[in-house]
Amino acid sequence: MSAQPQNPSSAQPFSLAGSGASSGLSLATPGDYFQLMKPRVMSLVIFTAIVGLIVAPGSIPLWQAAVAILCIAVGAGASGALNMWYDADIDAQMTRTKKRPVPRGVIAPRTAMTFGLLLSVVSVWTLGMATNYVASGLLAFTIFFYVVIYTMGLKRRTPQNIVIGGAPGALPPMIGYAAVTGSVTLDSFILFLIIFIWTPPHFWALALYKVSDYGRVGIPMMPNVAGPKSTRNQIFGYALVLAVVSAAPVFTGLGGALYAFGAALLNLGFVALAYKVWQSRAGERDEVQPESLYDVQKGDRAARNLFAYSILYLFAIFALIAADYLVGAF
Amino acid sequence: MKEYRDTPHDFVAPTEAEVKARSKRNIALAACLLAFVLLVFFTMVLKGQLPNAV
Repeated sequence: MSAQPQNPSSAQPFSLAGSGASSGLSLATPGDYFQLMKPRVMSLVIFTAIVGLIVAPGSIPLWQAAVAILCIAVGAGASGALNMWYDADIDAQMTRTKKRPVPRGVIAPRTAMTFGLLLSVVSVWTLGMATNYVASGLLAFTIFFYVVIYTMGLKRRTPQNIVIGGAPGALPPMIGYAAVTGSVTLDSFILFLIIFIWTPPHFWALALYKVSDYGRVGIPMMPNVAGPKSTRNQIFGYALVLAVVSAAPVFTGLGGALYAFGAALLNLGFVALAYKVWQSRAGERDEVQPESLYDVQKGDRAARNLFAYSILYLFAIFALIAADYLVGAF
Repeated sequence: MKEYRDTPHDFVAPTEAEVKARSKRNIALAACLLAFVLLVFFTMVLKGQLPNAV
């Protein structure tokens, strides 16, 4: 790969912690490599993939299901590592990401790239061998989309970055489903669509209270390009569309009464919080924002609340789909 | 005959922390490789795809 980013830290030889002559050994621990795999994102990927696996018609042996989930998780981790390799320059300047292993200087960008490429190949190949090549093809497409289309292509160029770039994050349940059936169906597409539509309000809520962070490194997030007001409008619009899309499982039989009731409540909460964001002045103050993911300045609380709730929402929606299926099965 | 590398010029001894970090990485790498080999082996066994030699 010759697309090494313009990274001030990678323009010079990789320096290790400490000063003066170096032995050339890194201080990176296995934990740093685990951080490279974005474990928080991985947890959501694992959970949604498990749900896709559960609700798929047919069955596979438990060991095969376990290998499939492991491969999907490792594939997601590989994408994360490649993303951190490419984004090392901007990660170093954002308060939220400056403590990642590459900007911290414990893992060299090239090492992160090698680690990511290696895990990509291993996860895709193993998934194909253990289940089928539709699932492994989807996993390969997910990694490609996240790294090449989103990270290298869209992220620094368009405010629609996380809209289109939401696709790889939405694919894991489809991969889990395909691991069982070897195909893509309307039901697995609905699972994909729920996450796909959920992504913009989720990330834009975060972007609203991290405006200066993204602005400093020139990432064209929606609040930085279209302004906070337009972003708040779009968040509310997406929340309404999400409410409609998440009702789809009821009509295809993927979700039953339990899902219908739970999803209605969850959507009520989502739309109410999105409405509060719409009414608020979140994102209006362009100051240096707190380092923590959840600490906010006064005025941005509505956006923070929606961001936090959206994570719970997605877990709960998928848990309901799985619960409904399991209740029906026994 | 003495080898050139027996008399290194610019050798910087690693610190204790660096050696410790390397050991941890080596153990983790070995464990992951072993797990991967076992995973491939058992996948083949369970799928009935073992080569004749086994």
